[in-house]
Order: sequence, then structure tokens, then C-alpha cells
Amino acid sequence: MLRKVLIANRGEIAVRVIRTCHELGLRTVAIFSEADRHAMHVYYADEAYPVGQAQARDSYLNIEKILNIARISAVDAIHPGYGFLAENHEFAQACIDAGLIFVGPTPNAIAAMGDKIVARSIMQKAGVPVVPGTEGEGILRDDEIVTMASKIGFPLIIKSAAGGGGKGMRRVNDQSFMTDALSEARRESEAAFGDGSVYLEKLIQGARHIEFQIIADNHGNVIHLGERECSIQRRHQKLLEEAPSVILSDDIDLRIKMGEVACRAAQSVGYVNAGTIEFLLDEDKNYYFLEMNTRLQVEHPVTEIVTGVDIVKEQIRIARNRRLSRKQDDIELKGWAIECRINAEDSYRDFMPSIGTISTNIIPTGPGVRVDTGVYPGYTISPHYDSLISKVICSGKTRGEALLRMRRALEEYRIVGVKTTIPFHQKLLNSHRFMAGQFNTSFVDDDFHVGDKSDTDDEIAAVFAALAAHQYRQQAAQLVQRGKRDASNWKWVGRWERMHR
Amino acid sequence: MKYLATVNGTKFEIDINEDSHINVDGQRYEIDFQTVGNGPLYSLLIDGNSYEGHIESTDDGWQILHKGDLYMVAIEDERSQRLMSLGGAGVLTKGDYYLKATMPGLVISIPVKEGQTISQGDILVVLESMKMQNELKSPRDGTVLRIQVNPEDTIQQDEVMLVLSPLDDQ
Repeated sequence: MLRKVLIANRGEIAVRVIRTCHELGLRTVAIFSEADRHAMHVYYADEAYPVGQAQARDSYLNIEKILNIARISAVDAIHPGYGFLAENHEFAQACIDAGLIFVGPTPNAIAAMGDKIVARSIMQKAGVPVVPGTEGEGILRDDEIVTMASKIGFPLIIKSAAGGGGKGMRRVNDQSFMTDALSEARRESEAAFGDGSVYLEKLIQGARHIEFQIIADNHGNVIHLGERECSIQRRHQKLLEEAPSVILSDDIDLRIKMGEVACRAAQSVGYVNAGTIEFLLDEDKNYYFLEMNTRLQVEHPVTEIVTGVDIVKEQIRIARNRRLSRKQDDIELKGWAIECRINAEDSYRDFMPSIGTISTNIIPTGPGVRVDTGVYPGYTISPHYDSLISKVICSGKTRGEALLRMRRALEEYRIVGVKTTIPFHQKLLNSHRFMAGQFNTSFVDDDFHVGDKSDTDDEIAAVFAALAAHQYRQQAAQLVQRGKRDASNWKWVGRWERMHR
Repeated sequence: MKYLATVNGTKFEIDINEDSHINVDGQRYEIDFQTVGNGPLYSLLIDGNSYEGHIESTDDGWQILHKGDLYMVAIEDERSQRLMSLGGAGVLTKGDYYLKATMPGLVISIPVKEGQTISQGDILVVLESMKMQNELKSPRDGTVLRIQVNPEDTIQQDEVMLVLSPLDDQ
């Protein structure tokens, strides 16, 4: 029986999972670190238990403590969300060993796909095309890697074998930068994952990042829920995603083919539950397997909107050993959905993380707008966890409608207290290349500048500044006056006291 | 009170004498300027048109975020204009540079040594915050005078991590 679920996560994704659990009538258990007593997931869950200190390794990454809470609270299942322990096969195994249902794939599948090198060779055997590189060569010394680099050809990418999310990744344009880039990538990979091993991959120029959402049950059924376009990235971090993709909407045959390959890829590792197969699609529409994410993705809502499938609900259904609620033929992509990731980062200062207390938080609503967030006014953004504070998802009948709706929603969104990526998205939505759907994974890094002004409103800015300066002067003047009055008040109190003696 | 506002090289003369009206380059407008919540977000009604701006005062002037665009506005009032004409402005700070942490975080590495001569743009400290590694670069040429943190140190916002002295002093 699955009646009570522990969500081993925090932030917007913990809130997201709790919502579906409550819709299903399941009781929910939250865990929180010392920094998160006032986080939204703690308030929304039916039960909440402290899990340790602010640093993730003492709390959200501590398997023993989490399983202990699971035991005390007598849950039946654990949902890992994304990040933290979501792709840790030891955690999945530990859950099973403790007699709990892990809402996700098997430990074996997580382990196989988590090692990028193993994953690539499995995919190759299953006939899934992969990007040329040093896959399956084992652990290589620096000099060996440098030699192989020239064989693969430049530009290429150095990637962390244990990595993900862009960490430990470096683009190298020619041989002369190879040594420096290699040591940087190893350092970052070592720091982030405790493993400095890296591999090389040919850089597919002008590529788009297209990924397929798949779901698979324990009865051998695997279907895909169509694609997501995630080419809008900055330094390999996704910022905006959409479903479907402009490219595949013009080439239905390619969508069918890539979808089939994605399902085959999942089957080749005996995959169950929700997962994502990431592909690179080059300018000639050749596609290559990039990696498989064995968890719920940050950008899953865009797929939910165009397919009408609640992916978390489906995950729990699969965890309950039921069959998928739909067959491949039932899946139809309707309309368009776009997601903007709102990070606590300064769009105008090189995306520098921004911390602070949110004083105003007015969330956009209205037709076709969904906001998944974990923050509220009075909430303090801490430096301990990642900077994603909210996701705005807008839908429409067409891409154009979704895009205009997103513009409107972002203009409604007011977050005061921290800097956010809202200005970045507003500028992006105004860019002609984005509007036309003509972009690839290097667009944001190479061809887009947030500082470029579209329709300048210099006069309004000047009026704002002058009024603010004027108000500031007046307030400064008042402060001096209040000081004078205070002094006379003391005199007055003195006289009053003498009078009553 | 007269203000001279400079934005992207364009100058505007703005005269504010009463709360409900302003003159911009001689043109009179009806205005209503209010803070939303408790600032720094402001609502401005100007002849019935509604605008919103996020206003911040910085060392370089007033920063206005409006519809996703960031404007840097320099404001001079009558008094500061008079001071400028007397030649009081433009003092160059030649002292030591204190590299402060713009956010709390974990020191990952310090790729420089005390006494080392460095150029503008060199990485001084690698700081991790929100799971991201941020390379803090030197804003100018100089010599590393003091390093006040060690790798693995957890540091607070505004904590001085490193002091840089100008090359001329050496």
C-alpha cells in the first residue's frame, strides 16, 4: 500500500510533489534543514521533521537521517524530486532495503545512466546514435586526453564523467587551451562530485537541445510524452524551455522517429518510472544521444501542459505497480507551453547569485499562467541551495500566443528583495531570433546581450531617478528637523519632571 | 528644485516644485509618484500613463529597472552643479582595494599569492554560493597585499577576503 510519502527535497519541487500527493489523498512528510524551517514545503506538508544543518551534506544529502525520519514517520514511499539524492543509486537501494518504495527507477538504471561513459556504450549497443568522443576509454591521464583531443578535432567539450547540470564542463576551441581547460574541468568536477574524471566529446555546432520525456511501468510499457526544446541555455544551464519544439513541429516524421529511439533507449536499461532522454540535434537534423536523466526534470510542467498528463501522478501510479494510464496513441500534443526559470541571480551582473529577504512577491495569474514556486514575502533566500526560486509556465493555442502571454505574465511578476532573471527573460522574449525560433544552444552565450535596449524609455527613467533623488533630499531634510524637535522634547520633559517634583 | 538627469548620453532638465506636477525640458506633466509596498518598487502615473520602476541608489548613480531594461541615470541638482563648476569633483581613489564577498559562500580556491603582481581581470578568489562557482576577478592592476581567507572557509557577506595595493606603491 502506498498511503504516505516522504519528499526528500525542498523548494518549489517539494511543493510541486506535495500538491499531487494531496490530490491523490496521500499523506505527506517534509524534511527541512536548519535554514528551511520557514520554507513553503514545510507549511504545505502534513508532517515535517528537521533533518540537520543548513549544508546539504548534513541534511538533504544525508541518507541515514532521511531514512530515520522515514521510519519514525512510518511512510510507505520516498519521492526524491530532482537534484540532491534523486540520481543517487545508493539512496534508491537504501530505500528499497528499508522496505520503502522509491518513486523512481531501479538503482541499476540510475547507476548505469549516472555514469555518462557507461550510458554512452549502452546506447551505442542499442543502436542509439551518440556524439563522437572518448567514451568507454576508461580513466585517462592528462597527456592521453590531450593526444586524443586532436584526433576528435576542435571545437570540443570536456565533460565530467560523474557530472550533470553543466558543472565541470568546458568548451575548448583549439589545442593551445586544452591543458588549462582540462585542469579547470577536473577541479570543478572534483569539487562538485568528488570525482575528477572527465571525457571528451566533439562539439556539435549549431545544435539544439531536444529532449524526450518518457514514462515506463513495471509491466513493460514504455511511452514518450513528446519533446521539449531546451536550447536556451547559459553556460550549459537551462533558462527557458518549451514544448513542443519549433523544429519537430515542422517535421512530424522526425518527432516519431526520435520518440521511438527515446523509448528504445529507456528499454535498453530496463527503465521504469519517469525519465528524460536528451538529444543534440544538429543543423542537418542528425540527432545524437546526450544523456538520460533518471528523475523528474525541472522543466516537466511544459510537457504536462501540452499532453494533459500529470507526470508526478503518473510516477506514483507506476510506483504503485499499476499500468500506465495512457498508450502512445492516446498522447497528443495540444497547443504550446513555455517555461521561464526565475533564479535569484542578477541578469545585469553576469548572473551573480543574489540573496536576501523577499519583501514583495506578486505572482502573475490569469488565463494560461501557472507558477511553481517555493517562496513568499518575508522568505529569505539563503546561499546554501540552488538559486531557482520560481518557474513561470505559460500556455497558448500557438507558440505566438504562449509567448505573448509570457511577456504579459513577466510584466505582472513583482519580486522585490533579490535580483532575479526576470529582466533576462523579458529581453529574450523581445529578441527577434527567439521569436522566430531561430536559435541553438550557443545563442544566449554568443549572440544575445541582455544589455541591448530595444525600445528605450530614457525619459521615463530620467523622471524616475529625478523623483527618487528629490524624495531622498526631502527625507534627509526631515530627519534633521526631527532631530531638532527631539532636542526640544528633552527640554520639555525636563521641565515637566521639575514641575511634578 | 531643478535636476539635470543624464541617461545613455541624453540630458533631461527636470524641475520639481510641487508634488503633483513636474516640468521635463519645459513641458509640464501631471504626476503621481508612489512607492509600492515599502519601496524600492515605485509606481508613477504621468499624465494618466502608468509606469513601474525598481529604483536603487548606487555609487555610480540611480539604477532604474523598467520593463526589463536597466538604466543608469546620473542626477545633478543645482547645488551639485555649482560644486562641479568649482572643480570639486573627479577625485581619483588611489588607495588599497578591498575585495569583499558580495554574498556569503564557501572559498574554493585562491589562485594568487601575497606579494604577487596581478593584472586587471585576473582571478583572485573562486567563491561557491548557490552551488555555483564564481570567479571573482581583479578590477585593476596591482599587488596582492594580504589574503585574509583560506580555501574551505565559509565567509559572510561583505567580509574582506583579500587586499590589493596599487602598483605605484611598490
